[in-house]
Amino acid sequence: METAANYPYAEHRKIKVQVENLTKCYGDLLVLDKINFEIYQGELLCIVGPTGCGKTTFLNCLSQFIPMTEGSILVDGVPASPEIHNIAFVFQEVSAIPWLTVEDNIRFGLRIKRLPEAEIEQRTERMLDIVGLRKYRTYYPQQLSASMEQRVVIARNFAINPDLLLMDEPYGQLDVKLRYYLEDELIRIWKELGSTVAFITHNIEEAIYLAERILILSPKPSTIKEEVIVDLPRPRQYDDPEFVRLREYVTERIKWW
Amino acid sequence: MIGRLGKRLMPAALTTGSLLAFVAFWQVVSLYTNPDFLPSPGRVWDEAVRLFHTPVGGKDILAHVGYSLRRVLTAYLWAILLGLPLGLCMGWNRTCEKIVSPIFELLRPIPPIAWIPIAILWLGVAEGSKVFICFVGSFVILVLNSYTGMRYVDPLLIDAARSFGASRRQQFFNVAVPACLPSIFAGLQNALSMAWMCVLAAELVGAREGVGFIIIQGMDLNRPPMILVGMILIGIVGSLLAASLRWAERALCPWRRELV
Repeated sequence: METAANYPYAEHRKIKVQVENLTKCYGDLLVLDKINFEIYQGELLCIVGPTGCGKTTFLNCLSQFIPMTEGSILVDGVPASPEIHNIAFVFQEVSAIPWLTVEDNIRFGLRIKRLPEAEIEQRTERMLDIVGLRKYRTYYPQQLSASMEQRVVIARNFAINPDLLLMDEPYGQLDVKLRYYLEDELIRIWKELGSTVAFITHNIEEAIYLAERILILSPKPSTIKEEVIVDLPRPRQYDDPEFVRLREYVTERIKWW
Repeated sequence: MIGRLGKRLMPAALTTGSLLAFVAFWQVVSLYTNPDFLPSPGRVWDEAVRLFHTPVGGKDILAHVGYSLRRVLTAYLWAILLGLPLGLCMGWNRTCEKIVSPIFELLRPIPPIAWIPIAILWLGVAEGSKVFICFVGSFVILVLNSYTGMRYVDPLLIDAARSFGASRRQQFFNVAVPACLPSIFAGLQNALSMAWMCVLAAELVGAREGVGFIIIQGMDLNRPPMILVGMILIGIVGSLLAASLRWAERALCPWRRELV
């Protein structure tokens, strides 16, 4: 396996997010230990690791939900801040807002950011088309199926043209069929909008299916154990020998400690 | 065809049926009871008709209902004005909670009726004390409901707003308040029923008008049918008030409407 530091992967890419010495302690418990890495502009990055390795803590630091103990996160060279940057977050639980219709859910983030009304409308229309919910624009989330609801959330997050879209096992609670469907959907939207996505999952197959590059975290205190470039053509096949080889390799790397 | 029509009429038929059964049961029991203990439905109906035409204490019966309603609504509006913001603040802001809740916890278990003597002492036997009693009753419920509603707002929704960089103010108005609308509405309904119950308690003491006055008057004149007319009026007005709020909730919280 090649690592990112020394190969053509990073050559033509611009660094979007630079994480330096990211450390997080809860009291005496060291959860994240001096993590260093970068996310490139327009990259689809997956982060995998054993359960309890602090994946969610890691994302929460990135999104500034919880303060870091040490280190810095720079977005476009400036310390990350929800006020300056568009950082979007798709949670494990579906977080569509129950009192807003599909279209108002998509407008939600744009309104919070106080974009001009015309811009809001234009982006909302675009997202409705992209996630294929135009017919359901006036429905409330509880009138939709789980996968449609998660699509609403994804649309809401992509609508703000995020500098960085963080996804914390967004498909963890969906069944396999929906997951496959939404994974393809994510790839399509990501390609269409050229967003930068950091996708956390414990599902190795999912990571290899989606990622351009995979970061493997070690168990607590977490560090980045390895970087794996996934250079397979899309659409990827689960039974492609190269796919299987990568999957086994990553599984081995996660297991071996 | 018949099946579908039947399905639609079924609930209405059941409601009417249960009311009719209740009246029938009342009629049967009253046949075997001293009419001074339990007047028959017929006598109560006659009394109601009589009261519609003859004023009691110088006012006709609808005017009495009007008096009670005015007291209730005045108190209710004040309770909304003061109670909702207080409850929401307590739920939202830890400092506010720490300051207010000890006092509130102490005052909460005191039933509104226990306030009657002190209310009369402070505000006299006129309108003031009656409105105050109703206010106490509905205020407590409104504060509690908006407070708990706020405490149970799904943190995920707040986080979703935060991830978009929402200010505290935006988190409060765009997420927290709409999220607790259902429990606020539950509070509004309970508070209105409570105010309506309290007005009667207040009117039992030294009132010259109002639905409670009709009941007291019936007792003083030894006219059981009149007491029952007063009680039934209370029931009818109370359920109409509740129904109107349910309607308002359906209009204001459309996402809670059930799927058809």
